[in-house]
Amino acid sequence: MRILIIEDEKSLREDVVDYLTENGYKCDFATTIKSALQKLSDVVYSCALVDVGLPDGSGIEIVEHIKKNNPEMGVIIVTAKNALEDKLQGLKIGADDYLTKPFHLSELSARVYSVLRRRNFGGKNSLVFDGLEIDTTEKKVIANGTQLQLTKKEYEILVYLASNPTHLITKEALADAIWGDKADMATSFDFVYSQIKNLKKKLNEADLKNYIKVVYGMGYKFKD
Amino acid sequence: MKLLTKSNIYTTITTVLLFAMGIFIVYQVIMIRLDSEVDEQLLSTKEKIVKGLSDGISPNEYLANIGQKIYVRKIETQTIFGNQFIEYIEKDPKDPSSDGDITQRELLFQTAVNGNVYEVTICNSLTEGKKIGDYIAVVVLIFMVISVIILFLLNRLISAFIWSPFYDTLTKIKTWNIKKNEVLNFKTTDIDEFHLLNDTVKDLTHQIQADYHNLKEFTENVSHEAQTPLSIISTKLELLMQQDNYNDKQNKLLVQIYNATQRMHKLNEGLILLTRIENKQFVETSTIELTHAFDEKIEVLEDFIEAKQITIEKHYNKQITKEVNPILLTILLNNLCINAIKYNLEEGGIIRITVDEDSFSVENTSYIDKINRQFLFDRFNKNSISGSLGLGLSLIKKIVDFYNWQVTYSHKDGIHKFKIYM
Repeated sequence: MRILIIEDEKSLREDVVDYLTENGYKCDFATTIKSALQKLSDVVYSCALVDVGLPDGSGIEIVEHIKKNNPEMGVIIVTAKNALEDKLQGLKIGADDYLTKPFHLSELSARVYSVLRRRNFGGKNSLVFDGLEIDTTEKKVIANGTQLQLTKKEYEILVYLASNPTHLITKEALADAIWGDKADMATSFDFVYSQIKNLKKKLNEADLKNYIKVVYGMGYKFKD
Repeated sequence: MKLLTKSNIYTTITTVLLFAMGIFIVYQVIMIRLDSEVDEQLLSTKEKIVKGLSDGISPNEYLANIGQKIYVRKIETQTIFGNQFIEYIEKDPKDPSSDGDITQRELLFQTAVNGNVYEVTICNSLTEGKKIGDYIAVVVLIFMVISVIILFLLNRLISAFIWSPFYDTLTKIKTWNIKKNEVLNFKTTDIDEFHLLNDTVKDLTHQIQADYHNLKEFTENVSHEAQTPLSIISTKLELLMQQDNYNDKQNKLLVQIYNATQRMHKLNEGLILLTRIENKQFVETSTIELTHAFDEKIEVLEDFIEAKQITIEKHYNKQITKEVNPILLTILLNNLCINAIKYNLEEGGIIRITVDEDSFSVENTSYIDKINRQFLFDRFNKNSISGSLGLGLSLIKKIVDFYNWQVTYSHKDGIHKFKIYM
């Protein structure tokens, strides 16, 4: 799957490209509206990541262009300003999702995955690993042939981890993803911890021992 | 006390004292004058008596001056030389029961005429004179009272007129709002001091406003400009943490840096949010039913409520719909509820949510004591135990202010209560 990243901030762009590439996506990038439009007319992308504040105008222009010419394509808006107006405008003209800077790379990856899934790219709606299948349409988890009984939060955590395979996911990123602005609670990390513990226990019972690894003090990794 | 009242009181007291003194002096002068007048009359009668006695006319036949009585008696030897004036008060002999005392002044003298010694008493009533004196005093008193009243009123009028530019200035300063970027325009005045005052206040407010805007712009810029480098730091850190080959010490350092960066993020986000509320960037409104909003909030926070085994008591006395910005209301309720959970007892606490016609409140049990009220809603006035950012209450206050609502905090029997009046 090919993703176009339109972002003028070099450092951030490189990180995003690296991270998404590691997660198995093919990434191209553009730094201006002009070059982005050029790339969009040359190549077919599954998803575009659009920064609203670009040197030659607003990224909203690109979103409009995509929705007019290639409505099948997924679009995620990235805004630096935490600006509601941008978000509303972006979603109104058809963006699938939005992210405000700063964001966790793992969050971005999860969002990209979710957009692609919603847009039915690749024809599959499930994440498949060795002995583990996460059906994101039915919200079911099949482990070695049996369905796991997961709570809503456990399921969300598993999907989040699974959409960032082999990456370290920090406790903060996980808490942010699940509770949003409510994550500012001392207890939210304990929560993540206990949810992960339960999740691991349930996976263990289904003979899937090494899917979630705890990196002491830092966070968690899926399928080391 | 008002300036006008105070100055008026002083003037009035002074006037009354002066007038009282005046009356006293006038009265005394009249009395002294009266006495000396009477004494002259007594002496003139004495001359007539002495002359009459020496002429051999029976003393009782002398006509005294009007209002005088004369008593003459023969005595053996002369013991008194010269004149003795005596003043005394007696009951009215015609009407002893009445209150009207009569003041008498008499002249007593002894004189030797043709070998006989006589003791003569000439008695003169002062009552008439005293009455005149009293009348004068009363007239002056009435005049004084009228004068004081007129002076008092006049003083008020004049003062009010003179001080009016001052009060105008005062009112304008009072209603002046630094955030509204308004220029103060005062009433023109020909009084130098007020003119100076107005100019000074104008300069001052101008300076304050300029400083305020500079500072505001600075904070805004700082938080905005900090966003990008902060993003870069935290993204790079996340990437750095992806590496596997760290020892425990390096791991610990990375985690500490990462935590601090996250904290910085949250702080920056909060500050930007505060600025955006201040800059009125949340204007779109929608109709929201308050009890629904609370219910939704509690549902979202369910995990945390359950973890602490908190009992939620809902007292929805009224269904209230409000035209508010949904984001602001969410932030407001979020902060109220999260605080109520965060600072609640570790186990078995209570949160009581009350919604009334024109107010709503969140009450909670807590492990912390009463909060110092003075700086409660200030930025960064944080509870040292919590490790929070210290922006939550200040956000609540900002939003409440934005809608011209009121927020109060009270603490009773271990229960903290935040109440918002709409």
